[in-house]
Amino acid sequence: MTDTSNLAAKMDVDEAAIDEGLYSRQLYVLGHEAMKKMAASNVLIVGLQGLGAEIAKNVCLAGVKSVTLYDPEPVTIQDLSTQYFLRESDVGQSRAEATLPRLAELNAYVPVRLLKGLTGQEISVELIQGFQAIVLCGVSYAKQLEINDWTHANGVHFIAAETRGLFGSAFTDFGPKFTCVDPTGEQPLSGIIASIDKDKDGLVTCLDETRHGLEDGDFVTFTEVQGMEELNGCKPRKVVVRGPYTFEIGDTSNLGDYTRGGIFTQVKMPKIIEFKSLRESLTSPEFFMTDFAKFDRPATLHAGFQALSRFKSQFGRLPRPRNAEDAASLVTLAKKIDADADEKTVTALAYQATGDLAPVAAVIGGFVAQEVLKACSAKFHPMVQHLYFDSLESLPSTTPTEQDCQPIGSRYDGQIAVFGKAFQDKIANHRQFLVGSGAIGCEMLKNWSMMGLATGPDAMIHVTDLDTIEKSNLNRQFLFRAKDLGKFKSEVAAAAVAEMNPALKGHILCKQEPVGQGTESVFDDAFFASIDGVTNALDNVAARLYMDQRCILYEKPLLESGTMGTKGNMQVVIPHLTESYASSQDPPEKQTLSCTVKNFPNAITHTIEWSRQEFDAMFVKPVESVNQYLSEPNYLENSLKYSGQQHDHVEQIVSYLVTNKPLTFEECIVWARLQFEEKFSNAIKQLLRSLPKDSLTSTGQPFWSGPKRAPDPLVFNSNDFTHLSFIIAAANLHAFNYGLRGETDPAIFKKVADSVIVPEFSPKSGVKIQVNENEPVAQSTSDPDDISGLVKQLPSPSSLAGYRLTPVEFEKDDDTNHHIDFITAASNLRAMNYNIPIADRHSTKQIAGKIIPAIATTTALIVGLVCLELYKIIDGKNKLEEYKNGFINLALPFFGFSEPIAAKKNKYGTTEWTLWDRFEFKNDPTLKEFIAWFKSTHNLEISMVSQGVSMLWSSFVGKKKSDERLPMKFSKLVEHVSKKPIPPHTTHLLVEIMASDEDDEDVEVPFIIVRI
Amino acid sequence: MSLTPATMRRLMRELTELRNSPPEGIRVVTSEDNMLDVTGIIEGPEGTPYAGGYFRVRFKFSEEFPAAPPKCWFATKIFHPNVSSAGEICVNTLKKDWKSTYGIGHILVTVKCLLIYPNPESALDEEAGKLLLEDYESYCSRAKLITSVHATPRTRPPEFDIPASSSEASTSIAAASPAISLPPQPITLPVPSSLSSPRKSTSPSPPSQPLQESASNTLPSSLSSSSLSGKDGKDRVTSPSPLGTADSNVAGPANTSAAAAAAATKAVKRSAAPGTGLEKRKKALKRL
Repeated sequence: MTDTSNLAAKMDVDEAAIDEGLYSRQLYVLGHEAMKKMAASNVLIVGLQGLGAEIAKNVCLAGVKSVTLYDPEPVTIQDLSTQYFLRESDVGQSRAEATLPRLAELNAYVPVRLLKGLTGQEISVELIQGFQAIVLCGVSYAKQLEINDWTHANGVHFIAAETRGLFGSAFTDFGPKFTCVDPTGEQPLSGIIASIDKDKDGLVTCLDETRHGLEDGDFVTFTEVQGMEELNGCKPRKVVVRGPYTFEIGDTSNLGDYTRGGIFTQVKMPKIIEFKSLRESLTSPEFFMTDFAKFDRPATLHAGFQALSRFKSQFGRLPRPRNAEDAASLVTLAKKIDADADEKTVTALAYQATGDLAPVAAVIGGFVAQEVLKACSAKFHPMVQHLYFDSLESLPSTTPTEQDCQPIGSRYDGQIAVFGKAFQDKIANHRQFLVGSGAIGCEMLKNWSMMGLATGPDAMIHVTDLDTIEKSNLNRQFLFRAKDLGKFKSEVAAAAVAEMNPALKGHILCKQEPVGQGTESVFDDAFFASIDGVTNALDNVAARLYMDQRCILYEKPLLESGTMGTKGNMQVVIPHLTESYASSQDPPEKQTLSCTVKNFPNAITHTIEWSRQEFDAMFVKPVESVNQYLSEPNYLENSLKYSGQQHDHVEQIVSYLVTNKPLTFEECIVWARLQFEEKFSNAIKQLLRSLPKDSLTSTGQPFWSGPKRAPDPLVFNSNDFTHLSFIIAAANLHAFNYGLRGETDPAIFKKVADSVIVPEFSPKSGVKIQVNENEPVAQSTSDPDDISGLVKQLPSPSSLAGYRLTPVEFEKDDDTNHHIDFITAASNLRAMNYNIPIADRHSTKQIAGKIIPAIATTTALIVGLVCLELYKIIDGKNKLEEYKNGFINLALPFFGFSEPIAAKKNKYGTTEWTLWDRFEFKNDPTLKEFIAWFKSTHNLEISMVSQGVSMLWSSFVGKKKSDERLPMKFSKLVEHVSKKPIPPHTTHLLVEIMASDEDDEDVEVPFIIVRI
Repeated sequence: MSLTPATMRRLMRELTELRNSPPEGIRVVTSEDNMLDVTGIIEGPEGTPYAGGYFRVRFKFSEEFPAAPPKCWFATKIFHPNVSSAGEICVNTLKKDWKSTYGIGHILVTVKCLLIYPNPESALDEEAGKLLLEDYESYCSRAKLITSVHATPRTRPPEFDIPASSSEASTSIAAASPAISLPPQPITLPVPSSLSSPRKSTSPSPPSQPLQESASNTLPSSLSSSSLSGKDGKDRVTSPSPLGTADSNVAGPANTSAAAAAAATKAVKRSAAPGTGLEKRKKALKRL
């Protein structure tokens, strides 16, 4: 990434390899196949205002062969409403030329080219030769038709898009016969089979009552079927679903007799999509719904956007902001196209026609960019064929006047045209706390800078992110460049957006603090008093839950969002109105049974999980134990408390510190070779000794059947790539533990590994306890004498003063550290044991590293939607139906909006309350006063009081403790029970109680704030 | 580590309930300064090789609780097909069948069930699984041996001085001796609400091999019915008196003494335990 120009030149060839370091997260969304096709596609983008720039940005980040820009028109100050690649100094220059250098910085692999034109020169068929995909932004319908007629006939993919105020539109035409290779983006389903009927309509039953998840019309093929062998590797058979556990696969009557086993795997069938040309589509449009609550709107906007185009050619300009006369003209034009067009909507469109909003550009730009990638890669289902979007709900409750919406010659004119100058001032004075400055955070700051958020004299944006910039971030966190690697995200992001809009200089405060209990002195009462709302841009549930709680406590609105691959969601949390983030959580991923991982894997995910555990068990935990033994006095004595495991524990320390401690790297190789034998041969032999392949279950069925695959031990072969990979990775990691220098030359490993004398397998006696048989058993619950023998082998910690081993810290993104290499090799060797198809390093890395797939398009869109809700928060809307939660999936594509759920009402006595209510005590009351207050004021009998994880008092605590605690002030009581001092910055304690009413019924009550 | 207030309230409620009316043979210990530091103690069910043992099960709650199950493992060594040497427990309830409505009590009752109905088909300890499938006697004696060595304290944990919910009517002294305080059907599973289908919840095995079938093959059929009289003559899982008779040299004296001198339970136990352990060991070693 250092020599940009060279790299770009080198990469501008079809066979270019894909930079997995840069594209890591996106590869997990698109896959190598799709990205290779993208790397062969030249994309032309016409019209470089905010929308065009957003599309170009996302396409550049995603990586295509080249991006070419066409827009010879001069930059105006109004363009700066949304076009974040332009600066005030660019006014007057051609838009494409001014944009190009900043766009070209985004991705060294994507050359950005200029298609020259003269001011006033529209795009033409002559200019668009040699591109695989063409995107027209804000181009007249007449021109769109001219270009589309040609592209439709010539196999070029065509997209047109436009944004007007809170409205957006997009049209796709990928030709009369477009083949989509993956219409859903979901992983192919597969499952284990219990039986297949031999029948005209062969019925397949899945094992274990596991849902097959297939739908009618899906295709499947089979492996490992016994008896009906013809099905193995058969041509994809069409599925008819009969039930959640059963489906039919057509005639199986002339096949063999099914005996047992078998796995079905879904086969993705290409889908042919017949696009209409724009000319045809304008008269018989097919609409893609963005909001099912606005069912009639697409038809109206279909007419409205065409009418706008006619208006512009007729009057030489767009309708003026909130101008009634122009609006009436537009309505007339629209009614000519579609007599049923809704007058109110068309009027709103006219009012906002000169409006230009960054959030809308982000929504449409993110969406259209994904359509470009679909056109280039055939991956995911394209949008068919017209999209119309609006967020009229974002308008302020008080309608701005015509006067208020007039342009003032500022960069915010696009926003003022929609919301008015008065609301612009509100935006400028709004103060947000952005938690996280990664993918979502970068997009958020970009939109905020365009909106002019917090540019007012006393306003401030607070950003915190503890992370530094890594290479895999550069693919979508577009405020970061290669030169920023290693710097703090929050600082680089803040500097980047302050350059986009200099009015933000000095209005962004950056921190590198994680949010959590440990930083409550930083994000304290005063801090929360200084902000108007919180926007989460987080990547983990724990921090989201924590911020949710803080927002409840301080009664701040919270904007929450997240993405996973092509899916994204956003949620609005409004104090005293909606439920909170924690109220309805997604269920976390189901975990795998430990016995499946330990003894009965049947899928590569199981062997990867095993391998990840082995990584810790070989290179982390024993090493940490050794260090603890060496550094903590009485470590062994303390660890003995955990009866049942102490023997293994001490044995491990002895092994790592004494018996197997390597002095040379060669010894590490020997160790690795013996580990291979232990893990992939001896352990399997031992298991088969206990449970031979012909074992029967208690019901007389073969033990090794269904989800249990009988394993086979491996025989080491240094010529086998996977075998040797394991040795190389394991030896290097072992060497790392001991500070020995590693090696990578395979020849050395081969030589040493082949020379190792491997002891014969001797079955373990299962009864470790026998060692102890002469001891009187009842003396103790642990076996101190047994351990003492082992302990004697250990050198005393003082004899090794200062000596420490180095535990490995798992890092998935460093390709030279052998971590993922080890996990891949170990997982695949185990897969070989169990005859499970192996996985490549790339897929193993995703599963082992729990990597969430990510792509810039989804993030841009979701963040756009978040900002459309932010307008409402700034306006102070207070009705549930005025807000929207959203869910999208760009792969299908799909948009879904819903009204936020109201905060649940609870009740004690006659008092209704929600999660937003609380009791508040001032002046640090005593426990006795506290309990008495509930009794006298609310007639509630308290049976338990807790603070944090401490149980301060309960009715069964005993008289002595009660007498001691009741007179204590809360601050004292908390310190007394938690045995920890209250941090000095603490001003209040959050207290929970259990209480019952006069009928002795348990009642739920709000939480309690005790000021101290 | 931060659980939501609602989750803390819920835990508080459950801990109180478990303390005030614990399920039969199950107690929960927590500490005042950290309510999340939860340890369950399961009394080895009578009639199983775990009888006489007290098994500690530790809990660790993540931020995602109760959406995600807590981490849960045996801190006491146990010989059981579904428990690994590191104490991991292989049970669907703690993994794929987890529901956010489940709590500590449900888990402990499920684990207790697992002590009664071990499931060799999802073995974590394959040695134990093999024995259970092939040689019940050996499995039993080995499990008894480990129980006596690692899980049988000199005195019963004091938590069991508080009576269980199902025996609240009996006096605390009677309740102190589990063998006596048990109702006629000693392995009646407590907390029926959370255990509407205990077998299903403990069984990771496929429906084609439902656990009750395997249980009826490996364990006395009486277990799968509600009658637990041990009428099939085998003494593996039976009511106290048949156990006392059939295995009188082992469990008999302890139980009888305890019955006779209920007030001095602890002392009796202390003296009885070594004998019990030795006897069991001798028997077990003979078979090995």
